[in-house]
Amino acid sequence: MFGIPDPQIWLVYILSVICVAFAAWFGIKFWNEEDEEGEISSLPRRKKNKKK
Amino acid sequence: MDGFAMYAVVVIYFLTVAFLGYLGYKKTKDSSDFLIGGGKMNPIVMALSYGATFISASAIVGFGGVAATFGMGIQWLCFLNMLVGVVIAFIFFGRKTRQIGAKFKSSTFAEFLGSCYKSDRIRLFVAAMIFIWMPLYAAAVMRGGVFFMQEIFGISFDLALLVFTVIIASYVIAGGMKGVMYTDALQAVIMFICMIFLLIWFYKEIGMGFSDANQALTDLSDQIPNDLKAQGHQGWTAMPVFGSARWYTLVTSLIFGVGIGCLAQPQLVIRFMTVDSTKQLNRGVFVGCLFIFITVGVIYHVGSLSNIFYMQSQGCIASDVQVNDGGVLRTIKSDEIIPNFIGSAMPMWFSVIFMLCILSASMSTLSAQFHTMAAAAGYDIYGTWLGGRKRERKEKTTVVIRLAVLISIFLSFVICYYFQGNASQIIALSTSIFMGICASAFLPSYFCALYWKKATKQGAYASMWVGTLATIIGMLFFHMKEAKLVGLCRALFDSDVLLAGDFALVDPICYAFPLSAITIFVVSKLTAKK
Repeated sequence: MFGIPDPQIWLVYILSVICVAFAAWFGIKFWNEEDEEGEISSLPRRKKNKKK
Repeated sequence: MDGFAMYAVVVIYFLTVAFLGYLGYKKTKDSSDFLIGGGKMNPIVMALSYGATFISASAIVGFGGVAATFGMGIQWLCFLNMLVGVVIAFIFFGRKTRQIGAKFKSSTFAEFLGSCYKSDRIRLFVAAMIFIWMPLYAAAVMRGGVFFMQEIFGISFDLALLVFTVIIASYVIAGGMKGVMYTDALQAVIMFICMIFLLIWFYKEIGMGFSDANQALTDLSDQIPNDLKAQGHQGWTAMPVFGSARWYTLVTSLIFGVGIGCLAQPQLVIRFMTVDSTKQLNRGVFVGCLFIFITVGVIYHVGSLSNIFYMQSQGCIASDVQVNDGGVLRTIKSDEIIPNFIGSAMPMWFSVIFMLCILSASMSTLSAQFHTMAAAAGYDIYGTWLGGRKRERKEKTTVVIRLAVLISIFLSFVICYYFQGNASQIIALSTSIFMGICASAFLPSYFCALYWKKATKQGAYASMWVGTLATIIGMLFFHMKEAKLVGLCRALFDSDVLLAGDFALVDPICYAFPLSAITIFVVSKLTAKK
């Protein structure tokens, strides 16, 4: 394909194009997407060990 | 292009960079502005800055040369840079990093991890690792930039180093993160346009289309030198033989080492905190991805195809080209292939623009490194240790960080100046160690800070130590490239490495990272409070 005999090589070209296309789709789809309510409060939180 | 026009282009470039640095200075009011651009940067500027910081001159010149030697298999690195370095980094790491960073009001990577694990010790460890290893890494990038300054102006190494350092220092010290990101964006645009032009001109020069050129490259497979064949090289449009020496080097060091290691690089992570909402990150994904696709993808593609150009013009493949070195003919080195190719295949005026592109790549990476080192020293180390536990006034903190930028730059300057020639192996080793530490020591703790609530600070701290030590031990005793350079293994055990056969070519990240990940899991389970 495309003058490249090894599928491991032409596959990476196709994957790269798909990756850019996905990035474009994602950017447009979530152009105005904000954090969901309560998302920040559900983030990892650790209690500080009290020093004796 | 005559000499005057060439100088004019370069001077205009430097003046524009200086102006953007001044713009950053005018908009920098406090330490938050200086460290994370006030957290309100434009998403396109952020994405371009991320990309320009990511792609150093080494990625263009060094890996372009690797593409000319190894072939198109290196495109997996471009793909991983996009998928892991941009898509996964922005969507899965950037989003949470920005949210948590904003919640804790973190301004540096070290402070971010320290806040997540509620541990000053972790913050200090991360900052210390950055401040110890990054000046050497920065010196390596600096040397690449200085080399091109010498080429452009025909000046001595000392003068080029001084001019290069003063220019970068001025806009990093004055403009802080805003100055750095504005100039990064300009430099990214230059790199992007330059690569588009390179691609178009290259196809015009060889007089072939995409598939025809690839086929011509495939047909060159009978020209592979016997020594490369013995190492597993099967042609420039094929991956090396599975499990061969070439395969191990390409897959473990170049693709996984660099492709995965980029996720936890402090100078990149901090950019997620420079925007004020998740939607800004979403908007940056495409810009960042396209930037990598064009800059990295084009140079790897053209680098591989340069073999056709050399076969047409000189009757040999790229790695067999003879260059004149002080009146003596010798075989070209890998990192000389791209500059030689640009000089041979492209018009003279493009050579100047390309050097501007390389200069941009060096300066953008270097400015981010200086800024990160300074933040680690002036904000994290001074802020938590030397400054005691008292909160510093914001104005004073900014002054201290600016001073730290100066110290960081001076350190890198001295290293770059003194560690030349044979001593340059120390710089190469330190660069590898820094990359390895980012992936093996920081990444598991960084990931768990974002996604695993049960990770404890003891687990994170142990994981960082295990990742760091496994990386250093791996490079000193198991990985051929660094172990042979240092020679400690030979001095102690009378052998270059302690691993037999091709396993000595496996990058330490392949075992240091899993060890570090297992450590954080096991120690967190053991130290979890019921």
